[in-house]
Amino acid sequence: MLASRGEKVFVGVITGLLILLSVVALVPLVSVISTSLSSKSAVDMNLVTLWPKQFTLDSWKYIVDRPDLWKSFFLTLSTTVIGTVLALLMTALFAYPLSKPEFRWGSVIMMAVVVAMIFKAPIIPYFLTVRGIGLYDNPLVLVIPHILNPFNLIIMRTFFKQFSKELEEAAFLEGCGYFRMLFQFVLPLSKAVLATLALFYGVVLWNQFQHPLLFLQDTNWFPLQIKIRQFITDDSVIMAGASSTMSLNYNERTLRAATVIFAIVPIVVVYPFLQKYFVKGAMIGSVKG
Amino acid sequence: MKSIASHQMKLYWPLYVMAIPGIIFLIVFKFIPLAGAVIAFKDYSVFQGFIDSPWVGFKHFETLLQHPDFLNVFSNTLLLGLFKLTIVFPVPVLLALMINEIRKSALKKGIQTALYIPHFLSWVIVGGILFDFFSLSGMFNIILGWFGAEPVLAMQESAYFRPIYVLASIWKDAGWGTVVYMAAISAIDPQLYESAMIDGASRIRQIRHITFPILLPTVLVLFLLDIGNFLDLGFDQVYNLLTPMTYNVGDILDTYVFRTGIQQGQYSFATAVGLFQSVIGFIMVYTFNKLSNKVSDGGLW
Repeated sequence: MLASRGEKVFVGVITGLLILLSVVALVPLVSVISTSLSSKSAVDMNLVTLWPKQFTLDSWKYIVDRPDLWKSFFLTLSTTVIGTVLALLMTALFAYPLSKPEFRWGSVIMMAVVVAMIFKAPIIPYFLTVRGIGLYDNPLVLVIPHILNPFNLIIMRTFFKQFSKELEEAAFLEGCGYFRMLFQFVLPLSKAVLATLALFYGVVLWNQFQHPLLFLQDTNWFPLQIKIRQFITDDSVIMAGASSTMSLNYNERTLRAATVIFAIVPIVVVYPFLQKYFVKGAMIGSVKG
Repeated sequence: MKSIASHQMKLYWPLYVMAIPGIIFLIVFKFIPLAGAVIAFKDYSVFQGFIDSPWVGFKHFETLLQHPDFLNVFSNTLLLGLFKLTIVFPVPVLLALMINEIRKSALKKGIQTALYIPHFLSWVIVGGILFDFFSLSGMFNIILGWFGAEPVLAMQESAYFRPIYVLASIWKDAGWGTVVYMAAISAIDPQLYESAMIDGASRIRQIRHITFPILLPTVLVLFLLDIGNFLDLGFDQVYNLLTPMTYNVGDILDTYVFRTGIQQGQYSFATAVGLFQSVIGFIMVYTFNKLSNKVSDGGLW
Protein backbone atom coordinates (compact mmCIF):
# COMPACT_ATOMS: atom_id res chain seq x y z
CA MET A 1 0.00 0.00 0.00
CA LEU A 2 1.90 3.01 -1.23
CA ALA A 3 0.41 6.26 -0.13
CA SER A 4 1.21 9.31 -2.18
CA ARG A 5 2.20 12.58 -0.61
CA GLY A 6 -1.24 14.08 -1.20
CA GLU A 7 -2.87 11.12 0.53
CA LYS A 8 -0.65 11.56 3.57
CA VAL A 9 -1.53 15.23 3.80
CA PHE A 10 -5.21 14.37 3.46
CA VAL A 11 -5.11 11.81 6.27
CA GLY A 12 -2.97 14.17 8.35
CA VAL A 13 -5.44 17.03 8.02
CA ILE A 14 -8.39 14.80 8.93
CA THR A 15 -6.55 13.34 11.91
CA GLY A 16 -5.60 16.79 13.12
CA LEU A 17 -9.14 18.06 12.71
CA LEU A 18 -10.61 15.13 14.62
CA ILE A 19 -8.12 15.47 17.47
CA LEU A 20 -9.01 19.16 17.65
CA LEU A 21 -12.73 18.34 17.72
CA SER A 22 -12.27 15.75 20.49
CA VAL A 23 -10.33 18.27 22.56
CA VAL A 24 -12.97 20.95 21.97
CA ALA A 25 -15.68 18.44 22.96
CA LEU A 26 -13.96 17.97 26.31
CA VAL A 27 -13.28 21.67 26.99
CA PRO A 28 -16.64 22.53 28.64
CA LEU A 29 -16.37 19.47 30.87
CA VAL A 30 -12.79 20.23 31.87
CA SER A 31 -13.60 23.85 32.62
CA VAL A 32 -16.42 22.81 34.97
CA ILE A 33 -14.11 20.36 36.75
CA SER A 34 -11.53 23.13 37.16
CA THR A 35 -14.14 25.53 38.51
CA SER A 36 -15.24 22.99 41.10
CA LEU A 37 -11.63 22.68 42.32
CA SER A 38 -10.82 26.39 42.40
CA SER A 39 -11.25 28.95 45.12
CA LYS A 40 -13.97 31.55 45.19
CA SER A 41 -11.58 34.43 44.65
CA ALA A 42 -9.85 32.78 41.68
CA VAL A 43 -13.23 32.24 40.03
CA ASP A 44 -14.38 35.78 40.78
CA MET A 45 -11.20 37.20 39.24
CA ASN A 46 -11.84 35.31 35.97
CA LEU A 47 -8.69 33.24 36.37
CA VAL A 48 -10.10 29.75 35.86
CA THR A 49 -10.15 28.26 32.38
CA LEU A 50 -8.81 24.74 31.93
CA TRP A 51 -6.79 24.31 35.08
CA PRO A 52 -7.85 24.80 38.72
CA LYS A 53 -6.47 28.02 40.26
CA GLN A 54 -5.85 28.31 44.00
CA PHE A 55 -6.70 24.63 44.26
CA THR A 56 -9.15 23.79 47.02
CA LEU A 57 -11.51 20.95 47.88
CA ASP A 58 -13.84 23.21 49.86
CA SER A 59 -16.65 23.14 47.29
CA TRP A 60 -16.46 19.37 47.20
CA LYS A 61 -16.41 19.11 50.99
CA TYR A 62 -19.52 21.24 51.12
CA ILE A 63 -21.28 19.19 48.43
CA VAL A 64 -20.51 15.78 49.94
CA ASP A 65 -21.74 17.09 53.29
CA ARG A 66 -25.20 17.78 51.93
CA PRO A 67 -27.46 14.97 53.16
CA ASP A 68 -30.27 15.94 50.76
CA LEU A 69 -27.96 15.38 47.80
CA TRP A 70 -26.95 11.94 49.05
CA LYS A 71 -30.57 11.07 49.62
CA SER A 72 -31.37 11.82 45.99
CA PHE A 73 -28.20 10.06 44.95
CA PHE A 74 -29.06 6.79 46.69
CA LEU A 75 -32.68 6.97 45.55
CA THR A 76 -31.51 7.34 41.95
CA LEU A 77 -28.86 4.66 42.38
CA SER A 78 -31.43 2.16 43.64
CA THR A 79 -34.09 3.00 41.05
CA THR A 80 -31.41 2.71 38.35
CA VAL A 81 -30.14 -0.68 39.55
CA ILE A 82 -33.59 -2.15 40.20
CA GLY A 83 -34.98 -0.63 37.02
CA THR A 84 -32.15 -1.96 34.87
CA VAL A 85 -32.50 -5.50 36.23
CA LEU A 86 -36.28 -5.43 35.77
CA ALA A 87 -35.94 -3.94 32.30
CA LEU A 88 -33.52 -6.65 31.16
CA LEU A 89 -35.78 -9.35 32.55
CA MET A 90 -38.87 -7.84 30.98
CA THR A 91 -37.19 -7.25 27.62
CA ALA A 92 -35.70 -10.77 27.51
CA LEU A 93 -39.01 -12.40 28.45
CA PHE A 94 -40.79 -10.50 25.69
CA ALA A 95 -38.05 -10.71 23.05
CA TYR A 96 -37.64 -14.48 23.38
CA PRO A 97 -41.13 -15.53 22.22
CA LEU A 98 -41.00 -12.79 19.57
CA SER A 99 -37.87 -14.42 18.15
CA LYS A 100 -39.65 -17.78 17.74
CA PRO A 101 -41.56 -18.57 14.54
CA GLU A 102 -43.83 -20.97 16.46
CA PHE A 103 -45.14 -18.07 18.55
CA ARG A 104 -48.38 -17.33 16.71
CA TRP A 105 -48.94 -13.78 18.03
CA GLY A 106 -45.46 -12.73 16.99
CA SER A 107 -46.15 -10.83 13.79
CA VAL A 108 -49.14 -8.96 15.22
CA ILE A 109 -47.19 -7.93 18.31
CA MET A 110 -44.19 -6.85 16.26
CA MET A 111 -46.46 -4.63 14.21
CA ALA A 112 -47.85 -3.13 17.42
CA VAL A 113 -44.30 -2.51 18.67
CA VAL A 114 -43.37 -0.67 15.49
CA VAL A 115 -46.59 1.38 15.66
CA ALA A 116 -45.78 2.25 19.28
CA MET A 117 -42.33 3.36 18.14
CA ILE A 118 -43.53 5.58 15.29
CA PHE A 119 -46.63 7.10 16.87
CA LYS A 120 -45.75 8.71 20.13
CA ALA A 121 -48.83 9.39 22.24
CA PRO A 122 -49.30 13.06 23.16
CA ILE A 123 -47.93 13.72 26.63
CA ILE A 124 -51.22 14.71 28.26
CA PRO A 125 -53.16 11.44 27.75
CA TYR A 126 -49.95 9.66 28.75
CA PHE A 127 -49.82 11.72 31.93
CA LEU A 128 -53.49 11.03 32.68
CA THR A 129 -53.10 7.30 32.08
CA VAL A 130 -50.04 6.94 34.28
CA ARG A 131 -51.68 9.04 36.98
CA GLY A 132 -54.79 6.90 36.58
CA ILE A 133 -52.94 3.69 37.46
CA GLY A 134 -51.75 5.20 40.72
CA LEU A 135 -48.22 6.25 39.84
CA TYR A 136 -48.72 9.94 40.68
CA ASP A 137 -46.45 11.01 43.54
CA ASN A 138 -45.36 7.39 43.75
CA PRO A 139 -41.62 6.59 43.53
CA LEU A 140 -42.44 3.57 41.36
CA VAL A 141 -42.93 6.06 38.52
CA LEU A 142 -39.14 6.30 38.46
CA VAL A 143 -38.96 2.62 37.49
CA ILE A 144 -42.05 1.09 35.91
CA PRO A 145 -42.55 3.30 32.82
CA HIS A 146 -38.94 2.63 31.81
CA ILE A 147 -38.74 -1.15 31.97
CA LEU A 148 -39.60 -1.79 28.32
CA ASN A 149 -38.38 0.17 25.34
CA PRO A 150 -39.55 -0.89 21.86
CA PHE A 151 -36.19 -0.08 20.27
CA ASN A 152 -34.27 -2.16 22.82
CA LEU A 153 -36.82 -4.93 22.44
CA ILE A 154 -36.11 -5.11 18.71
CA ILE A 155 -32.35 -5.19 19.33
CA MET A 156 -32.71 -8.14 21.70
CA ARG A 157 -35.12 -9.99 19.43
CA THR A 158 -32.70 -9.60 16.52
CA PHE A 159 -29.92 -10.99 18.70
CA PHE A 160 -31.99 -13.99 19.83
CA LYS A 161 -32.93 -14.83 16.26
CA GLN A 162 -29.36 -15.78 15.41
CA PHE A 163 -29.21 -18.74 17.82
CA SER A 164 -29.02 -22.02 15.96
CA LYS A 165 -32.12 -24.15 15.92
CA GLU A 166 -30.11 -27.38 16.29
CA LEU A 167 -28.91 -26.48 19.76
CA GLU A 168 -32.44 -25.72 20.88
CA GLU A 169 -33.90 -28.85 19.37
CA ALA A 170 -31.28 -30.97 21.13
CA ALA A 171 -32.12 -29.28 24.39
CA PHE A 172 -35.85 -29.82 23.86
CA LEU A 173 -35.30 -33.54 23.28
CA GLU A 174 -33.63 -33.66 26.68
CA GLY A 175 -36.88 -32.33 28.12
CA CYS A 176 -35.76 -28.77 28.56
CA GLY A 177 -38.66 -26.27 28.45
CA TYR A 178 -38.72 -22.74 27.08
CA PHE A 179 -38.12 -21.08 30.44
CA ARG A 180 -35.04 -23.18 31.21
CA MET A 181 -33.90 -22.73 27.64
CA LEU A 182 -34.04 -18.96 28.00
CA PHE A 183 -32.38 -18.71 31.40
CA GLN A 184 -29.84 -21.53 31.12
CA PHE A 185 -28.75 -21.35 27.50
CA VAL A 186 -29.86 -18.23 25.69
CA LEU A 187 -29.19 -15.50 28.29
CA PRO A 188 -25.71 -16.73 29.29
CA LEU A 189 -24.77 -16.55 25.61
CA SER A 190 -26.18 -13.05 25.26
CA LYS A 191 -23.80 -11.13 27.51
CA ALA A 192 -22.87 -8.61 24.83
CA VAL A 193 -26.43 -7.57 24.09
CA LEU A 194 -27.38 -7.64 27.80
CA ALA A 195 -24.49 -5.33 28.64
CA THR A 196 -25.42 -2.96 25.83
CA LEU A 197 -29.05 -2.80 26.84
CA ALA A 198 -28.09 -2.48 30.52
CA LEU A 199 -26.15 0.61 29.53
CA PHE A 200 -29.04 2.01 27.45
CA TYR A 201 -31.65 1.40 30.15
CA GLY A 202 -29.30 2.47 32.94
CA VAL A 203 -28.50 5.80 31.32
CA VAL A 204 -32.19 6.57 30.75
CA LEU A 205 -33.05 5.65 34.36
CA TRP A 206 -30.13 7.61 35.79
CA ASN A 207 -30.72 10.69 33.61
CA GLN A 208 -34.51 10.79 33.71
CA PHE A 209 -35.93 14.24 34.21
CA GLN A 210 -39.35 14.51 32.56
CA HIS A 211 -41.08 11.72 34.52
CA PRO A 212 -40.19 13.01 38.00
CA LEU A 213 -40.99 16.54 36.84
CA LEU A 214 -44.45 15.44 35.70
CA PHE A 215 -45.34 12.98 38.41
CA LEU A 216 -43.52 13.74 41.65
CA GLN A 217 -44.53 16.51 44.06
CA ASP A 218 -43.15 15.07 47.29
CA THR A 219 -39.59 16.37 47.71
CA ASN A 220 -38.68 13.15 49.53
CA TRP A 221 -38.80 11.32 46.20
CA PHE A 222 -36.84 13.82 44.14
CA PRO A 223 -34.25 11.93 42.10
CA LEU A 224 -30.78 13.24 41.43
CA GLN A 225 -31.51 15.15 38.21
CA ILE A 226 -34.34 17.15 39.79
CA LYS A 227 -32.16 17.88 42.82
CA ILE A 228 -29.29 19.00 40.59
CA ARG A 229 -31.67 21.18 38.61
CA GLN A 230 -32.71 22.87 41.88
CA PHE A 231 -29.08 23.38 42.80
CA ILE A 232 -28.32 24.88 39.41
CA THR A 233 -31.30 27.22 39.20
CA ASP A 234 -31.91 28.21 42.80
CA ASP A 235 -29.07 29.82 44.72
CA SER A 236 -31.01 29.66 47.97
CA VAL A 237 -31.13 25.85 47.70
CA ILE A 238 -27.47 25.40 46.92
CA MET A 239 -26.34 27.84 49.62
CA ALA A 240 -28.81 26.52 52.21
CA GLY A 241 -26.12 24.84 54.29
CA ALA A 242 -23.47 27.54 53.94
CA SER A 243 -22.23 29.18 57.10
CA SER A 244 -22.53 32.94 57.22
CA THR A 245 -18.89 33.58 58.01
CA MET A 246 -17.03 35.68 55.49
CA SER A 247 -14.17 33.25 55.05
CA LEU A 248 -16.01 31.00 52.60
CA ASN A 249 -13.72 29.58 49.99
CA TYR A 250 -16.54 28.72 47.63
CA ASN A 251 -19.44 30.49 45.97
CA GLU A 252 -22.60 29.50 44.08
CA ARG A 253 -20.63 28.89 40.95
CA THR A 254 -17.98 26.57 42.34
CA LEU A 255 -20.70 24.67 44.22
CA ARG A 256 -22.82 24.29 41.11
CA ALA A 257 -19.78 23.02 39.24
CA ALA A 258 -19.09 20.45 41.95
CA THR A 259 -22.74 19.33 41.91
CA VAL A 260 -22.69 18.81 38.16
CA ILE A 261 -19.51 16.73 38.30
CA PHE A 262 -20.89 14.81 41.30
CA ALA A 263 -23.72 13.53 39.09
CA ILE A 264 -21.39 12.56 36.25
CA VAL A 265 -18.96 10.49 38.34
CA PRO A 266 -21.04 7.28 38.42
CA ILE A 267 -21.45 7.32 34.63
CA VAL A 268 -17.72 7.82 34.15
CA VAL A 269 -17.00 4.96 36.57
CA VAL A 270 -19.31 2.49 34.82
CA TYR A 271 -18.55 3.55 31.26
CA PRO A 272 -15.19 1.78 30.68
CA PHE A 273 -16.62 -1.56 31.83
CA LEU A 274 -19.43 -1.42 29.33
CA GLN A 275 -17.74 0.37 26.47
CA LYS A 276 -16.37 -2.74 24.83
CA TYR A 277 -19.87 -4.17 24.62
CA PHE A 278 -22.05 -1.29 23.65
CA VAL A 279 -20.67 -0.41 20.25
CA LYS A 280 -20.96 -4.03 19.22
CA GLY A 281 -24.49 -4.23 20.60
CA ALA A 282 -25.60 -0.98 19.03
CA MET A 283 -24.35 -2.30 15.70
CA ILE A 284 -26.43 -5.47 16.02
CA GLY A 285 -29.50 -3.33 16.46
CA SER A 286 -28.81 -0.78 13.80
CA VAL A 287 -27.64 -2.98 10.95
CA LYS A 288 -30.29 -5.63 11.10
CA GLY A 289 -33.06 -3.94 13.07
CA MET B 1 -58.69 -26.62 13.55
CA LYS B 2 -59.49 -26.39 17.22
CA SER B 3 -57.48 -29.45 18.13
CA ILE B 4 -54.42 -28.07 16.33
CA ALA B 5 -54.74 -24.83 18.25
CA SER B 6 -55.05 -26.57 21.59
CA HIS B 7 -52.14 -28.84 20.73
CA GLN B 8 -50.12 -25.74 19.99
CA MET B 9 -51.01 -24.27 23.37
CA LYS B 10 -50.07 -27.49 25.16
CA LEU B 11 -46.59 -27.34 23.70
CA TYR B 12 -45.97 -23.63 23.40
CA TRP B 13 -47.83 -22.14 26.38
CA PRO B 14 -44.59 -20.91 28.07
CA LEU B 15 -43.98 -18.57 25.13
CA TYR B 16 -47.40 -16.99 25.63
CA VAL B 17 -46.88 -16.67 29.39
CA MET B 18 -43.55 -14.94 28.81
CA ALA B 19 -45.14 -12.41 26.49
CA ILE B 20 -47.95 -11.39 28.86
CA PRO B 21 -46.05 -8.77 30.94
CA GLY B 22 -44.77 -7.13 27.76
CA ILE B 23 -48.22 -7.06 26.19
CA ILE B 24 -49.71 -5.47 29.30
CA PHE B 25 -46.93 -2.90 29.33
CA LEU B 26 -47.52 -1.97 25.69
CA ILE B 27 -51.26 -1.63 26.24
CA VAL B 28 -50.98 0.49 29.39
CA PHE B 29 -48.04 2.73 28.52
CA LYS B 30 -48.40 3.00 24.75
CA PHE B 31 -51.85 2.18 23.42
CA ILE B 32 -54.19 3.54 26.09
CA PRO B 33 -52.40 6.94 25.97
CA LEU B 34 -52.52 6.79 22.17
CA ALA B 35 -56.26 6.13 22.22
CA GLY B 36 -56.60 8.77 24.95
CA ALA B 37 -55.60 11.35 22.38
CA VAL B 38 -59.35 11.48 21.51
CA ILE B 39 -59.73 13.94 24.38
CA ALA B 40 -58.43 16.56 21.96
CA PHE B 41 -61.97 16.39 20.53
CA LYS B 42 -63.67 16.33 23.94
CA ASP B 43 -63.95 18.46 27.04
CA TYR B 44 -62.00 16.18 29.32
CA SER B 45 -63.12 16.00 32.89
CA VAL B 46 -61.19 14.04 35.47
CA PHE B 47 -64.38 12.44 36.77
CA GLN B 48 -65.66 11.26 33.40
CA GLY B 49 -62.36 10.02 31.97
CA PHE B 50 -61.32 9.38 28.36
CA ILE B 51 -64.54 7.63 27.34
CA ASP B 52 -67.39 9.52 29.00
CA SER B 53 -66.19 13.11 28.63
CA PRO B 54 -68.46 15.00 26.17
CA TRP B 55 -67.48 15.46 22.51
CA VAL B 56 -66.83 19.01 21.34
CA GLY B 57 -65.50 18.46 17.82
CA PHE B 58 -62.74 20.79 16.67
CA LYS B 59 -63.33 23.41 19.36
CA HIS B 60 -59.84 23.14 20.86
CA PHE B 61 -58.16 23.24 17.46
CA GLU B 62 -60.05 26.43 16.63
CA THR B 63 -58.97 28.05 19.92
CA LEU B 64 -55.45 26.90 19.24
CA LEU B 65 -55.18 28.45 15.80
CA GLN B 66 -56.54 31.76 17.10
CA HIS B 67 -54.23 31.84 20.09
CA PRO B 68 -51.53 34.51 19.66
CA ASP B 69 -49.08 32.47 21.81
CA PHE B 70 -49.54 29.44 19.64
CA LEU B 71 -48.32 31.08 16.45
CA ASN B 72 -45.12 32.19 18.16
CA VAL B 73 -44.56 28.81 19.79
CA PHE B 74 -45.25 27.02 16.53
CA SER B 75 -42.82 29.13 14.52
CA ASN B 76 -40.14 28.70 17.21
CA THR B 77 -40.60 24.96 16.98
CA LEU B 78 -40.58 24.98 13.19
CA LEU B 79 -37.38 27.01 13.05
CA LEU B 80 -35.48 24.90 15.58
CA GLY B 81 -36.71 21.73 13.85
CA LEU B 82 -35.44 23.07 10.55
CA PHE B 83 -32.03 23.82 12.08
CA LYS B 84 -31.94 20.34 13.55
CA LEU B 85 -32.56 18.75 10.16
CA THR B 86 -30.27 20.93 8.09
CA ILE B 87 -27.36 21.65 10.45
CA VAL B 88 -27.35 18.98 13.16
CA PHE B 89 -28.31 15.96 11.06
CA PRO B 90 -25.39 15.91 8.58
CA VAL B 91 -22.68 16.23 11.27
CA PRO B 92 -22.50 12.53 12.29
CA VAL B 93 -22.29 11.50 8.62
CA LEU B 94 -19.28 13.76 8.11
CA LEU B 95 -17.72 12.67 11.39
CA ALA B 96 -18.13 8.98 10.52
CA LEU B 97 -16.52 9.47 7.11
CA MET B 98 -13.64 11.28 8.78
CA ILE B 99 -13.16 8.80 11.61
CA ASN B 100 -13.12 6.00 9.05
CA GLU B 101 -10.01 7.54 7.44
CA ILE B 102 -7.98 7.07 10.61
CA ARG B 103 -6.13 3.78 10.53
CA LYS B 104 -4.33 3.92 13.89
CA SER B 105 -6.80 2.06 16.07
CA ALA B 106 -5.68 3.45 19.46
CA LEU B 107 -6.07 7.02 18.25
CA LYS B 108 -9.38 6.17 16.63
CA LYS B 109 -10.68 4.71 19.86
CA GLY B 110 -9.56 7.73 21.89
CA ILE B 111 -11.30 10.13 19.51
CA GLN B 112 -14.47 8.06 19.55
CA THR B 113 -14.53 7.90 23.35
CA ALA B 114 -14.10 11.67 23.65
CA LEU B 115 -16.92 12.26 21.17
CA TYR B 116 -19.27 9.68 22.76
CA ILE B 117 -19.02 10.89 26.37
CA PRO B 118 -21.41 13.89 26.17
CA HIS B 119 -24.17 11.55 24.94
CA PHE B 120 -24.32 9.91 28.36
CA LEU B 121 -24.89 13.14 30.28
CA SER B 122 -28.42 14.26 31.09
CA TRP B 123 -29.76 17.55 29.75
CA VAL B 124 -29.84 18.85 33.32
CA ILE B 125 -26.10 18.31 33.49
CA VAL B 126 -25.48 19.68 29.99
CA GLY B 127 -27.56 22.72 30.95
CA GLY B 128 -25.49 23.08 34.12
CA ILE B 129 -22.25 22.85 32.18
CA LEU B 130 -23.44 25.42 29.62
CA PHE B 131 -24.70 27.88 32.26
CA ASP B 132 -21.28 27.61 33.91
CA PHE B 133 -19.38 27.90 30.64
CA PHE B 134 -21.34 31.01 29.59
CA SER B 135 -21.50 32.68 33.03
CA LEU B 136 -19.93 36.11 33.56
CA SER B 137 -16.75 34.66 35.02
CA GLY B 138 -16.98 31.55 32.81
CA MET B 139 -14.65 30.42 30.10
CA PHE B 140 -16.63 31.91 27.22
CA ASN B 141 -16.40 35.41 28.65
CA ILE B 142 -12.76 34.97 29.62
CA ILE B 143 -11.98 34.11 26.00
CA LEU B 144 -14.06 37.07 24.78
CA GLY B 145 -12.02 39.20 27.16
CA TRP B 146 -8.76 38.13 25.50
CA PHE B 147 -10.04 39.77 22.33
CA GLY B 148 -11.19 42.83 24.22
CA ALA B 149 -14.89 42.09 23.72
CA GLU B 150 -17.55 43.02 26.26
CA PRO B 151 -18.83 40.09 28.35
CA VAL B 152 -22.27 38.69 27.43
CA LEU B 153 -24.64 36.45 29.36
CA ALA B 154 -25.28 34.28 26.34
CA MET B 155 -27.75 31.90 28.03
CA GLN B 156 -29.98 34.82 28.98
CA GLU B 157 -29.83 36.48 25.57
CA SER B 158 -32.49 35.72 22.92
CA ALA B 159 -30.08 36.15 20.04
CA TYR B 160 -27.88 33.33 21.35
CA PHE B 161 -30.58 30.79 22.13
CA ARG B 162 -30.82 29.15 18.70
CA PRO B 163 -27.07 28.87 18.08
CA ILE B 164 -26.65 27.41 21.59
CA TYR B 165 -29.48 24.93 20.98
CA VAL B 166 -27.84 23.77 17.74
CA LEU B 167 -24.32 23.57 19.18
CA ALA B 168 -25.55 21.77 22.29
CA SER B 169 -27.36 19.20 20.12
CA ILE B 170 -24.22 18.60 18.11
CA TRP B 171 -22.00 18.46 21.16
CA LYS B 172 -24.20 15.95 22.95
CA ASP B 173 -25.26 13.58 20.21
CA ALA B 174 -23.23 13.96 17.01
CA GLY B 175 -20.46 11.66 18.28
CA TRP B 176 -22.88 8.97 19.32
CA GLY B 177 -24.73 9.38 16.03
CA THR B 178 -21.67 8.06 14.20
CA VAL B 179 -22.14 4.57 15.71
CA VAL B 180 -24.82 3.62 13.19
CA TYR B 181 -22.83 4.95 10.25
CA MET B 182 -19.61 3.29 11.41
CA ALA B 183 -21.52 0.01 11.52
CA ALA B 184 -22.70 0.50 7.96
CA ILE B 185 -19.19 1.43 6.81
CA SER B 186 -17.61 -1.59 8.50
CA ALA B 187 -19.98 -3.82 6.52
CA ILE B 188 -18.52 -2.60 3.20
CA ASP B 189 -16.59 -5.27 1.29
CA PRO B 190 -12.84 -4.42 1.51
CA GLN B 191 -12.37 -5.78 -2.02
CA LEU B 192 -14.14 -2.71 -3.36
CA TYR B 193 -11.40 -0.51 -1.94
CA GLU B 194 -8.65 -2.85 -3.10
CA SER B 195 -9.80 -2.78 -6.69
CA ALA B 196 -10.29 0.98 -6.49
CA MET B 197 -6.71 1.33 -5.31
CA ILE B 198 -5.44 -0.82 -8.14
CA ASP B 199 -7.24 1.54 -10.48
CA GLY B 200 -5.39 4.37 -8.80
CA ALA B 201 -8.36 6.01 -7.11
CA SER B 202 -7.34 8.47 -4.41
CA ARG B 203 -8.71 8.41 -0.86
CA ILE B 204 -11.08 11.26 -1.61
CA ARG B 205 -12.38 9.52 -4.73
CA GLN B 206 -12.87 6.31 -2.73
CA ILE B 207 -15.00 8.24 -0.24
CA ARG B 208 -17.00 9.87 -3.01
CA HIS B 209 -17.54 6.81 -5.13
CA ILE B 210 -17.58 3.92 -2.66
CA THR B 211 -18.13 4.84 1.00
CA PHE B 212 -20.63 7.64 0.56
CA PRO B 213 -22.92 5.92 -1.98
CA ILE B 214 -23.05 2.78 0.17
CA LEU B 215 -23.81 4.89 3.23
CA LEU B 216 -26.58 6.81 1.51
CA PRO B 217 -29.49 4.39 2.13
CA THR B 218 -28.71 4.41 5.88
CA VAL B 219 -28.55 8.19 5.82
CA LEU B 220 -31.87 8.30 4.03
CA VAL B 221 -33.64 6.01 6.50
CA LEU B 222 -32.35 8.00 9.47
CA PHE B 223 -33.31 11.23 7.75
CA LEU B 224 -36.86 10.00 7.26
CA LEU B 225 -37.10 8.94 10.90
CA ASP B 226 -35.80 12.37 11.90
CA ILE B 227 -38.37 14.10 9.75
CA GLY B 228 -41.12 12.26 11.60
CA ASN B 229 -39.73 13.65 14.84
CA PHE B 230 -39.17 16.99 13.19
CA LEU B 231 -41.23 18.95 15.73
CA ASP B 232 -40.04 16.78 18.60
CA LEU B 233 -37.15 18.88 19.80
CA GLY B 234 -36.65 17.15 23.11
CA PHE B 235 -38.49 18.48 26.13
CA ASP B 236 -35.54 17.92 28.49
CA GLN B 237 -33.18 19.75 26.20
CA VAL B 238 -35.20 22.90 25.66
CA TYR B 239 -36.52 23.01 29.22
CA ASN B 240 -32.99 22.91 30.61
CA LEU B 241 -31.58 25.51 28.23
CA LEU B 242 -34.46 27.95 28.61
CA THR B 243 -34.50 31.05 30.82
CA PRO B 244 -37.35 33.57 31.20
CA MET B 245 -35.31 35.97 29.06
CA THR B 246 -35.20 33.54 26.12
CA TYR B 247 -38.87 32.54 26.16
CA ASN B 248 -39.70 34.57 23.06
CA VAL B 249 -37.44 32.39 20.89
CA GLY B 250 -37.14 29.21 22.96
CA ASP B 251 -40.71 28.43 23.98
CA ILE B 252 -41.69 25.41 21.87
CA LEU B 253 -44.69 23.09 21.54
CA ASP B 254 -43.35 20.69 24.18
CA THR B 255 -42.80 23.37 26.82
CA TYR B 256 -46.11 25.01 25.85
CA VAL B 257 -47.97 21.71 26.33
CA PHE B 258 -46.27 21.28 29.69
CA ARG B 259 -47.34 24.73 30.82
CA THR B 260 -50.91 24.74 29.55
CA GLY B 261 -51.60 21.06 30.19
CA ILE B 262 -49.76 19.95 33.29
CA GLN B 263 -49.37 23.24 35.13
CA GLN B 264 -52.67 24.90 34.17
CA GLY B 265 -54.71 21.71 33.80
CA GLN B 266 -56.15 22.48 30.34
CA TYR B 267 -55.91 18.82 29.43
CA SER B 268 -57.98 18.76 26.25
CA PHE B 269 -56.45 21.92 24.83
CA ALA B 270 -52.89 20.71 25.47
CA THR B 271 -53.73 17.33 23.92
CA ALA B 272 -54.95 19.14 20.81
CA VAL B 273 -51.57 20.88 20.62
CA GLY B 274 -49.80 17.53 21.02
CA LEU B 275 -51.98 15.84 18.42
CA PHE B 276 -51.39 18.69 16.00
CA GLN B 277 -47.67 18.08 16.47
CA SER B 278 -47.99 14.31 15.86
CA VAL B 279 -50.14 14.79 12.76
CA ILE B 280 -47.68 17.22 11.21
CA GLY B 281 -44.88 14.74 11.94
CA PHE B 282 -46.83 11.97 10.24
CA ILE B 283 -47.62 14.09 7.18
CA MET B 284 -43.94 15.00 6.85
CA VAL B 285 -42.77 11.36 7.01
CA TYR B 286 -45.47 10.28 4.57
CA THR B 287 -44.64 13.01 2.05
CA PHE B 288 -40.89 12.55 2.19
CA ASN B 289 -41.22 8.80 2.05
CA LYS B 290 -43.26 9.15 -1.16
CA LEU B 291 -40.62 11.50 -2.52
CA SER B 292 -37.73 9.19 -1.70
CA ASN B 293 -39.59 6.25 -3.22
CA LYS B 294 -39.84 8.24 -6.43
CA VAL B 295 -36.27 9.52 -6.45
CA SER B 296 -34.63 6.26 -5.41
CA ASP B 297 -35.83 2.87 -4.30
CA GLY B 298 -35.08 3.68 -0.67
CA GLY B 299 -37.68 4.61 1.91
CA LEU B 300 -39.19 3.42 5.12
CA TRP B 301 -41.94 1.41 3.44
